Amino acid sequence: MVLARRGGIGRYYDVNGWLFVAPALGLIALFMVYPILWSLWMSFQSGRGMMMKFAGFANIVRLWNDPVFIKALTNTMTYFVVQVPIMILLALVLASLLNNPRLVGRGLFRTAIFLPCVTSLVAYSVLFKGMFAPDGIVNSTLQAIGLIASPIPWLTHPFWAKTLVIIAITWRWTGYNMIFYLAAMQNIDRSIYEVARIDGVPAWARFTHITIPLLKPVILFTTVISTIGTLQLFDEVYNLTEGKGGPSNATLTLSLYIYNLTFRFMPNFGYAATVSYVIVVLVALLAVLQFYLARERDR
Amino acid sequence: MDKLVRTHLPRIAGLALASASFLAVTAAEAKEITIWCWDPNFNVAIMKEAGARYTKAHPDVTFNVVDFAKTDVEQKLQTGLASGTADALPNIVLIEDYGAQKYLQSFPGAFAPLSGTVDHSGFAPYKVELMTLEGQVYGMPFDSGVTGLYYRKDYLEQAGFKPDDMQNITWDRFIEIGQQVEAKTGKKMMGLDPNDAGIVRIMMQSAGQWYFDKEGKPNITGNPALKAALETVGKIMSANIYKPANGWSDWVGTFTSGDVASVVTGVWITGTVKAQPDQAGKWGVAPIPALSIEGATHASNLGGSSWYVLESSEEKAEAIDFLNEIYGKDIDFYQTILQERGAVGSLLAARGGAAYEAADRFFGGQKVWQNFSDWLAKVPAVNYGIFTNEADLAVTAQLPALTQGTPVDEVLKAIDAEISGQIQ
Amino acid sequence: MKNPARAASAVLTYGFVGLMAFLSVFPFIWMVLGATNSSIDIIKGRLAPGETLAVNVAKFFTQVNVPLVFWNSAKIAILATLLTLAVSSLAGYGFEMFRSRRRDGLYRAMLLTLMIPFAALMIPLFIMMGKAGLINTHIAVVLPTIGSAFIVFYFRQSTKAFPSELRDAAKVDGLKEWQIFLYIYVPVMRSTYAAAFIIVFMTAWNNYLWPLIVLQSNETKTITLVISSLASAYYPDYGVVMVGTILATLPTLAVFFFMQRQFVQGMLGSVK
Repeated sequence: MVLARRGGIGRYYDVNGWLFVAPALGLIALFMVYPILWSLWMSFQSGRGMMMKFAGFANIVRLWNDPVFIKALTNTMTYFVVQVPIMILLALVLASLLNNPRLVGRGLFRTAIFLPCVTSLVAYSVLFKGMFAPDGIVNSTLQAIGLIASPIPWLTHPFWAKTLVIIAITWRWTGYNMIFYLAAMQNIDRSIYEVARIDGVPAWARFTHITIPLLKPVILFTTVISTIGTLQLFDEVYNLTEGKGGPSNATLTLSLYIYNLTFRFMPNFGYAATVSYVIVVLVALLAVLQFYLARERDR
Repeated sequence: MDKLVRTHLPRIAGLALASASFLAVTAAEAKEITIWCWDPNFNVAIMKEAGARYTKAHPDVTFNVVDFAKTDVEQKLQTGLASGTADALPNIVLIEDYGAQKYLQSFPGAFAPLSGTVDHSGFAPYKVELMTLEGQVYGMPFDSGVTGLYYRKDYLEQAGFKPDDMQNITWDRFIEIGQQVEAKTGKKMMGLDPNDAGIVRIMMQSAGQWYFDKEGKPNITGNPALKAALETVGKIMSANIYKPANGWSDWVGTFTSGDVASVVTGVWITGTVKAQPDQAGKWGVAPIPALSIEGATHASNLGGSSWYVLESSEEKAEAIDFLNEIYGKDIDFYQTILQERGAVGSLLAARGGAAYEAADRFFGGQKVWQNFSDWLAKVPAVNYGIFTNEADLAVTAQLPALTQGTPVDEVLKAIDAEISGQIQ
Repeated sequence: MKNPARAASAVLTYGFVGLMAFLSVFPFIWMVLGATNSSIDIIKGRLAPGETLAVNVAKFFTQVNVPLVFWNSAKIAILATLLTLAVSSLAGYGFEMFRSRRRDGLYRAMLLTLMIPFAALMIPLFIMMGKAGLINTHIAVVLPTIGSAFIVFYFRQSTKAFPSELRDAAKVDGLKEWQIFLYIYVPVMRSTYAAAFIIVFMTAWNNYLWPLIVLQSNETKTITLVISSLASAYYPDYGVVMVGTILATLPTLAVFFFMQRQFVQGMLGSVK
């Protein structure tokens, strides 16, 4: 790290470094940073369509008095708090089961569980809407095996609608996260498990005391990525509820609200930009928090 | 680096993009009219027919009808208008009537006024009113969403009702009939999607009211029609004469699969109803039930859309002339799209054509088109305003409260509160 | 005593994993069955092979210019993938091999861009494309996706596993930096590229919102856009939609199956 600032080698080293990273940084600056700064400028304006005026902090004030925004924020946080832990845990359990070399057909299982994340948003929404219709295949199966007496109102009851969104995201992304864990588990020396087993450590304790601590960096990484994904949640809700976030705004997310403010409602680009900055701030706070928590336990 | 980014970024951005644009393919022909619309079996097919007719008389003008999903058209239009770049937009675009004022008012100057060329007095008045802003009429009225009560004659007969019993009834009577239909046939009276406020809009407009008054101010707590509509939906729900549906396709499934005895919706559904050949002869059409309040009628509207010409488009003159020649004057065109697509246009003169007089065998020889065009002239004109989407979502959000027995006045207050928060 | 317990745990394991695998695959089975049924049967939730497959396929091919939309999708996805891989691997290599405080600072700043929701970028990006005259071109679809902080991050993490002795040896042999990258790094990191290829290709192929906004005409539309417009007709024919979704899913499935082995190895590198 300590380099000669002057002189041929240092200069050569530095120029090469910049040349390698320049294309990526340039593109990101042009297509991410520049537009998001533009958005920041828009968030201080308000008005209908193209007739925007400088509005100072009016949009931020409006946030507090907007029940729909509060609802969208609450829903988004609910998804995050409920869905991310369920998915991460499920992915971890599946990964550790599939990591067992004695498990017959594990390649097949692994492929099957990864499969959902290759589907396109459009295909997946068509499938889920059909499967979870009031008299669709899911309800009729549950009724047939006697788990429920009457059909579950999947998309017409606030609680079940949220549940369905969580099922949908979990279905699509668990396998994706599992692959990260499976890959990381290849690095764990199997003899640690053997020793623990011989010492009589039960399976669940091997999982919590060996697997999880060793995988902590990957878990942190996937948690941050999932947090970002969940806080920006749009595709699933948009498609399952025909863009409405219903019933009673029970499934409305911040990204869907931004979309509505931009495209469905009387367009107010300034206010929409303000809501999008709420997501940026939230993700930043949560990412910092997650890194902080992970670091604390290191000591 | 920082300084470089701040001072030169816009210029670098421009340069990089400009050089990339040399590689881009630009396929602009001299007289090609580009049109955006949705639904390949309806609007798209109809526009292609219209284009073919115009090209026959004007061989130098060709058409490029682009088919997107409806929400996709709206979102592309809004992005395009917001960007202020003319080449991002088509020459003609289809806009649903509820959204017309929103576009006209938030993007002033974006749409070409047609008042000078087109004689709007020949169209259904409610269609013309919704596209008028400050004395100028901006669109070419297209299909009507005039509503009707489609009912299964076979199910109703089993329950002891004749077609005459379905004429000019009230919603209360409709619910009574529904209960008897269920008792006798086991079928529900209608499909209902609790996430869609369409039925509320139908009832409200049939009594000449809307979410907004003539000045565009919210008209919720003091709106007798909205109140009666919500009460009626509440009664339908508590009488349990409906089959719940989960989104549009599921709702369509309630009647195409023969699970319900009636459908109250816009005339554009006719094609879907008729798409089930095994149900031929089993359907009848009646005027929609009326609310039991002052000013209630049996005519209303759901959806429907119109064509708009973009002011900035190069082929503006040709586009306006095309719309005027075909949609403004061609009576025969309206007969064709009625026969082939079940589209009821809003040009009143087209009602005299043979196709409108024809008896429809699917509906047991009933002259359904004549009925619809009679009702069309009676649809009360209302001001859709610029916030119909917001209001509609607010109503949808409160529908479940209605099922749980919350008093209607409280529901209205909650809707009013949500709308006030949204329209700033 | 021990054997029944072990048997029970095996049954439990297979039962659980099997159930999860079934639930994951079930929608695909449903999709394939759907393609053989009529629209009405699909809405009713019929779960058996039907007889309308040929009709559905024929309808799909008459309603949609299949070769054209596939070519458009493929062009966009392959171009986006190759460019993203090139740009991101260069950057990941650069950030890891040429450590400097300023670049590390920029790297961290770059990771912050992961937090930006796409909805916030849409309007400005569209205006930029409009000014550059790129609306309705595939270039406009591809350009904003090339610079991906996530893939740069992935390559940097993987580069940590790249043996630096290789680089030192190459330097002694007199290879220039770009030669080391091209002739040594790229072949050694094959499986990293494979994993990134799958992820980027999937994202690019399935991308919906941005292509939808930028692409204007029938000649430029992708398969995803076409299916979405089929599914939202006043009276959608779900049998036809199912045929479309199967065809749209096949390429990503194929890419995944062909590169599966390298994929898992590649992911392995990134989490070391």
